[in-house]
Amino acid sequence: MQASHIRNFSIIAHIDHGKTTLSDRLLHSTGTIATRDMEEQLLDSMDLERERGITIKAHPVTMLYKAKNGETYELNLIDTPGHVDFSYEVSRSLSACEGALLIIDAAQGVEAQTVANVHLAMKQNLLVIPVINKIDLPHADIAQAKMQLEDILAIPADLAILASAKQGIGIEDILEAIVERIPAPKPTGQPSLQALGFDSYFDTYKGVVTHVRVFNGELKAGMTVKLLHSGKSVEVKEVGSFNPKPYVRDKLEVGETGYMTANIKSPKDVKMGDTITDSRNPSAVLPGFKEIHPMVFSGIYPINTSDYEHLKANLGKLQLNDSAFVFQSESSVALGFGFRCGFLGLLHLEIVQERLRREYNMDIIATYPSVVYKIFMTDGTEKEVDNPAFMPEANYIERIEEPMVKAFVICPNEYIGDMMALISEKRGNVDHTETLDTRRVMLTSLIPLNEILIDFHDRIKSITRGFGSMDYEHADYREAQMVKLDMLVNGESVDAFSCIVHRDKAESRGRALAAKLKEVIPPQQYQVAIQGAIGGKFIARETVSALRKDVTAKCYGGDISRKRKLLEKQKEGKKRMKSFGSVNIPQEAFIEVLKTS
Amino acid sequence: MSDRSEPITSLYVHVPFCAHKCEYCAFYSEASNGEMINRYVHALIREMELVAHDLKPRTVFFGGGTPSILTLRQWEEILKTMERLNLLGAEEWTVECNPATVSADKARLLRSFGVNRISMGVQSLDENLLDRLGRIHSREMVFKSFDILRAAGFDNINLDFMFAIPGQTMDIWRNTLREAMAFGSEHLSCYEVIYEDDTPLYAQLKAGKFSVDEELACAMYDELLTTVEQGGYHQYEIANFAKNASAAINDFPDRACKHNVNYWRGGSFYALGPSAAGYVRGVRTKNWSNTQMYCEQLERGLRAIESKEELAPLARAGEIAAFGLRMNSGWPLAEFKHRTGFDLQDHWQPEIRQMLNLGYAQLSQENFHLTRQGLRYADWAAELFLKI
Repeated sequence: MQASHIRNFSIIAHIDHGKTTLSDRLLHSTGTIATRDMEEQLLDSMDLERERGITIKAHPVTMLYKAKNGETYELNLIDTPGHVDFSYEVSRSLSACEGALLIIDAAQGVEAQTVANVHLAMKQNLLVIPVINKIDLPHADIAQAKMQLEDILAIPADLAILASAKQGIGIEDILEAIVERIPAPKPTGQPSLQALGFDSYFDTYKGVVTHVRVFNGELKAGMTVKLLHSGKSVEVKEVGSFNPKPYVRDKLEVGETGYMTANIKSPKDVKMGDTITDSRNPSAVLPGFKEIHPMVFSGIYPINTSDYEHLKANLGKLQLNDSAFVFQSESSVALGFGFRCGFLGLLHLEIVQERLRREYNMDIIATYPSVVYKIFMTDGTEKEVDNPAFMPEANYIERIEEPMVKAFVICPNEYIGDMMALISEKRGNVDHTETLDTRRVMLTSLIPLNEILIDFHDRIKSITRGFGSMDYEHADYREAQMVKLDMLVNGESVDAFSCIVHRDKAESRGRALAAKLKEVIPPQQYQVAIQGAIGGKFIARETVSALRKDVTAKCYGGDISRKRKLLEKQKEGKKRMKSFGSVNIPQEAFIEVLKTS
Repeated sequence: MSDRSEPITSLYVHVPFCAHKCEYCAFYSEASNGEMINRYVHALIREMELVAHDLKPRTVFFGGGTPSILTLRQWEEILKTMERLNLLGAEEWTVECNPATVSADKARLLRSFGVNRISMGVQSLDENLLDRLGRIHSREMVFKSFDILRAAGFDNINLDFMFAIPGQTMDIWRNTLREAMAFGSEHLSCYEVIYEDDTPLYAQLKAGKFSVDEELACAMYDELLTTVEQGGYHQYEIANFAKNASAAINDFPDRACKHNVNYWRGGSFYALGPSAAGYVRGVRTKNWSNTQMYCEQLERGLRAIESKEELAPLARAGEIAAFGLRMNSGWPLAEFKHRTGFDLQDHWQPEIRQMLNLGYAQLSQENFHLTRQGLRYADWAAELFLKI
């Protein structure tokens, strides 16, 4: 297809604002799929995605549309993950496009995620087509939505298309706007092929299937191409597009979108956002490439220690389709052998854990998540630490910096006070407050990433009775008074509970952990001291009193054999427990604490 | 190690019959039936004949069940057999009695053949609790039976008591202890109710009919230790207390049950009767529990052994170490070495150190024993010392 007749676009929206329904509707209207083939939410292929209403992975889909001007256009819908945890993926996908549909729910208005995604689209200089969706709902407020478009997102309201994806209203207008408003792709003037590999998935037979957008030249089977960032040359085996099932094409030309395979065995061999070019006559790299760096780390351990190899295999399988997920083996005295896992953010972490549990049936326990701290040492060197176990001694540390996020919180007016209190409790600062409409405000604030890891989202939901929403983008590092909190049982540190916390919060966290440990450590034949300590200083203490006795029963000749067997069984059981300061603690106790902390 | 050529010096005989089975009892016993008891007596005599050549009893213990349920004639048969087989003359010969089945002529008969110690299962002196436990005797019967035994010439009597019985208050326990002291028996055996599988009491506990009050049980144990000490008894094992002629005690008090001490110190003993568990030269045996099966085997001239178990030498030593620590005097190091062939300090060094560090044990040149505090955790100590 001629570049002048190609349009590449994405759809950006807040969860539940109708992105998937609109995608399906577009596929249907263009005849790409017949109604009878339409499964609800066709593009979201994983159960988990459907359930949570978020898209983690989706293929680009090619549609042919006959416009009112009589010409046929190739429309490539490049879906994006709907969450900023995946903001790099989002921006890679967006950079494969020239335009984006921005969906706003007419009843709900602009939400936090809308703001974050529009920011990303603007950074990529995409043409944004605002679509006010769900106008058929009884409490749809179109005027309000238009006002928010202008006030919050600075997009002229008269550009908005009114639609109901569910009822099929406005679909034609949207397709026309895509053709009319979104610029056609233009060759970049480079000497040869220049394509962006913006995503990939793993196919058992074909190996890594890379999603590509051709910016210049053409991509054909049989070519030898060079992956500039991965530093590798491969022979292209097959190229094609999706409709939405993959189909083979002769070649992909300027502006076109599809996939290529090249006998690449591991997704690790292809970097997300790589530039693909002709190896004989390479073009320049495309702008915007970044190495993916996990932002959040957590230890994942099998509950049943014999599942270690099994877990390792399953993590490997997950990684095949999720190159942003990294893991390496580590061990903990308390939890045995497991893996240190890196994630792009909170949702990513939750999704991986949930998939391990549900799709792979793994019984796992995750340690308290940690962000990556930058530690500036007194000798002038710099370290990155994501695991409390590797935190240097305090006297070698000059300062510590922690990652911040710019968070957008939207909440009903009546909860502003509580919301400000929450943000301040989370060591955040509200930069500015905007009125969205008569009911809602948006608070933009700078908050340490580690503070939003655990319960921030849940707290927002509970403070606002479900009406608040939150999204964030990564911001810079900032100096913070972070300390390593150790939990000790009879003087011996329990590694699974060590954590890096802000000095002001160390004491309360230490106390909470000590209290929880006291609940789960069974009384022993001697007193057990549970302490929280920073450096050498104790900040929390609980005591598990000793059992007063363990025997007052009689035992004569006929009882000895039976009793011995009973005691042997107990002894065997304790061998499987972890011992800290000569206290035998069942693994379930650790798990109990990790579950509730 | 015991010498292969020396005969075994300890004998236990199990009498598996009761007038009524108690709520807490997991011992093998069955309701009495005259015909079956006769058959049992003959099988027992047969069993005695099979082992007598290897026996020269210093201690004998008839336990149950209820040995005193046997009739005068049945006792006569057993005692005469023992006489014939040269099994009389034990230094300590105990027969367990239920206060409801003690009679003057039975007591005289036992005494005349050399029985010199009676162990009476009193359990409680509170009528309601006796009822609760399913005991068939009354308070009155206890007092009466005790007098009968004394009159028959028994100067070494043990009384069994239980505490932490569901429904037992601290006041009831104190009263029972006070009355127990007044008997002036030579020996007391006092222990917490245990809830064993397959007992009605356990079923009631599981069904939530009552709950275990751990604090109260501890307080009752403390009360017990204080009261019996004031009453002139010396604790020599977790649940056993005995009188001593003088204030100084050598290893254990004079009136300690030597038969039981042999158990805790890992000595050999033959055990006869249904379900009886013996330990002869390192081999533990258990007889068939079913009385009919027991009888059938012996009627064919065979021992009625259901199972045998022999531990490897170090494991056996671990077991011996473990159970010996139940005694206040613990282990004389030389005796342990002599009995097991292993040196306690060499093979259990970390365990000994751990107990010493906690103040739960004491070690001298000659002896290792748990302290008063440590004895409360004797099960844990036993667990530590077992070798698995």
